[in-house]
Amino acid sequence: MRIGTLKESYVADAALFDSVTQKRMLAAGAALLVLFPFIANDYWLYLACLVAINIVSATGLNILTGYTGLVSLGQAAFMGLGAYTVAILETRLGTHFLINLWAGGAVAMLGGIIVGIPSLRVKGLYLAITTIAASFIAHFLFANFEFTGRTGGLSLPPARTFGIFLDTSFRLYWMIVPITVLMVIGAANLFRTRIGRAFIAIRDRDISAEVLGIPLLRYKLLSFAVSSFYAGVAGGLWAYFFRVVTPESFPLVMSIFFLAAIIVGGMGTILGGILGAIFMTMVPELLKLIFDILPGGREMTVFLSPVRTVVFGLLIVGFLVFEPLGLAEVWRRIRRFFHLWPFRN
Amino acid sequence: MFDRKSFVTRRSVMSLAAGAALAAGLTIPAQAQQEDIVVGGSIPMTGVFAFAGVGINAGMSDYFKIVNDAGGVNGRKIKFVIEDTGYKVDVSVAAFKKITSQDKVNLYYGDSTGFAKTINPELDRNGQIMMAGASFATELNDPKKYPHQFLVGPDYTEMFGILLNHIAKEKPGAKVAFVYSDSEFGRDPIESSEALAKKLGLSVPVKIMTAPGSVDVSTEVIKLRRAAPDYTIFHGYILAPIPEFVQQGKQMGMTTKWMGTFWTMDSSTVMKMGEAGDGFMGVMPYRYYYDDAANSPMLQKIRQMRPEYQSTAYMQGFLTAMLFTESAKRTLAAGKPLNGGNLKAALNSIKNFDTGGIIGTPITIGGNSIPVGRVYKADMKAQKMVPASDWISLAK
Repeated sequence: MRIGTLKESYVADAALFDSVTQKRMLAAGAALLVLFPFIANDYWLYLACLVAINIVSATGLNILTGYTGLVSLGQAAFMGLGAYTVAILETRLGTHFLINLWAGGAVAMLGGIIVGIPSLRVKGLYLAITTIAASFIAHFLFANFEFTGRTGGLSLPPARTFGIFLDTSFRLYWMIVPITVLMVIGAANLFRTRIGRAFIAIRDRDISAEVLGIPLLRYKLLSFAVSSFYAGVAGGLWAYFFRVVTPESFPLVMSIFFLAAIIVGGMGTILGGILGAIFMTMVPELLKLIFDILPGGREMTVFLSPVRTVVFGLLIVGFLVFEPLGLAEVWRRIRRFFHLWPFRN
Repeated sequence: MFDRKSFVTRRSVMSLAAGAALAAGLTIPAQAQQEDIVVGGSIPMTGVFAFAGVGINAGMSDYFKIVNDAGGVNGRKIKFVIEDTGYKVDVSVAAFKKITSQDKVNLYYGDSTGFAKTINPELDRNGQIMMAGASFATELNDPKKYPHQFLVGPDYTEMFGILLNHIAKEKPGAKVAFVYSDSEFGRDPIESSEALAKKLGLSVPVKIMTAPGSVDVSTEVIKLRRAAPDYTIFHGYILAPIPEFVQQGKQMGMTTKWMGTFWTMDSSTVMKMGEAGDGFMGVMPYRYYYDDAANSPMLQKIRQMRPEYQSTAYMQGFLTAMLFTESAKRTLAAGKPLNGGNLKAALNSIKNFDTGGIIGTPITIGGNSIPVGRVYKADMKAQKMVPASDWISLAK
């Protein structure tokens, strides 16, 4: 049981993790992340890396849509910008992956700022439609320029550091997961600053935010910039992970995937982005594992595959109907239950 | 308190001994039995490509069943393990990782060009697996870049080559239009085929690119009509917008002969074009299910196993399984271990191979493709695809 937490200073009050239990759980989580590659096989490591990349991108979209209230369907296009930047730098200059990832983030950020300009005049679904244009423009650019490899795309060598090629899921894990952790902590910290609070103010009521002295132009574009930076880095990690980038790697449906992830996970919470990305990536795989256990072998796979897709769809609908605040709210409820457990249930 | 002495009873010792004997009994034959040859597959059972995935799976399963029922390859059974991919590259890679983590995989079937390109570095690094798949991308037909992969038929440029060779023979100096989708799949053979057309004395008066699966193509049809081609080749589509082109073109009095490539050419797909599709031609590397040509024991066997129509994707899967098996057989016969390099070398040793009628001519696999095909034509009255040419081989 956890009872009242005593805070004696403003710093303690604004701390990211305010209780001993939280810190312990965090330490346990960190230990698990470190131990995981040593106990998991290639398949689970692959999924862990994929989930981590999706977490970075979903967190980026959450900053824009969940925290600033600007709906975007351009996330995949920004990921594409990051991925292509990384692929071009890696193949042409062979610079270090950290530099490439930063550059990927920066290029995507510029793309985000340009795409974000209409957000000053349009909101909600209208803005979503304008951001769709980003997907089509990006696809056109990727498919038609010589330096992006046209429709065939680009293949890139594995990332390397200290003479080690990061070419297996085990090695990539040590690149992708620490970057993901840093970016998630960065996002969580963002909302303890003036910038983050300004984003929230814009989401809650933009006119009031402006009255309060928040310049909408600067902060809306800043939100687009930060969000697409995250997408660009995620795209860069994606490029190193799959080592092939084609115009068809980042379709519009991928943007919808991330939007669905933050809605299912819980908009406007960092945990929501994480849980949403895990849910959207892992549930289809877990359903496969569950369906594999069912008797009938491969013949049943033919029959059950469409059923599995339907079950996944129903799960998403179920979450939206029964828990509109997302998985983050489910998690919060579980935590609240244990705060007073076993004295009250 | 726990009493150690009482734990070790006569009954427990007896049951332990019985258990050990049973375990030994179960394990000894297992050790004696040879390791299975494992074929993995990232196959789309759901999503946009499910129509092909279901057929591919059935074709491969049927051939492996025939082999296993006949005792396997050198006494080794073939184990076929598949995962549904939904035709998504990341899911296909996950399936590959899952299957290769669970079994020592020797052969693999991939579902797309994207997957083939993505998994290629892993195949090279791993060195244990030879792969084929649903892709006929020209890029994959490069043994240096893709040493552990092959295409189960001609690549898209070779498909165009077969059609253009047929056209050059049928109507020398003909005008040929290319209509293709704005995708990697669609653009694949266009540039190289334009050069080939010129080499064969044909001209390409117009190349029209459309969005994949676009519906309203009236402006494109007018453009095509203005060019008045003798032949129009579609590529990069399954069906839409081909029926629109054909119907509107015929209404406008166009006399061009319409043609397609492999993924359009399944009998059931062409028949969906209705009356307007009568005479629609295209390249097909395999015989159709209902082809009753002599010397086709495998087609007869397929019809016995499955009395209902099987798609060309089924034939592709069936032939893939046959070539996988043949490669494994040749590798084992040479006393070599089943790894990617040996299996590919065995595949490339295939010369004048009889596919049991799946392909109507003996095949030789010198590189990464089987550059053989035949032009078929839709007969809407009979609801069948009928041969419009003999088998055409582009092998040098």
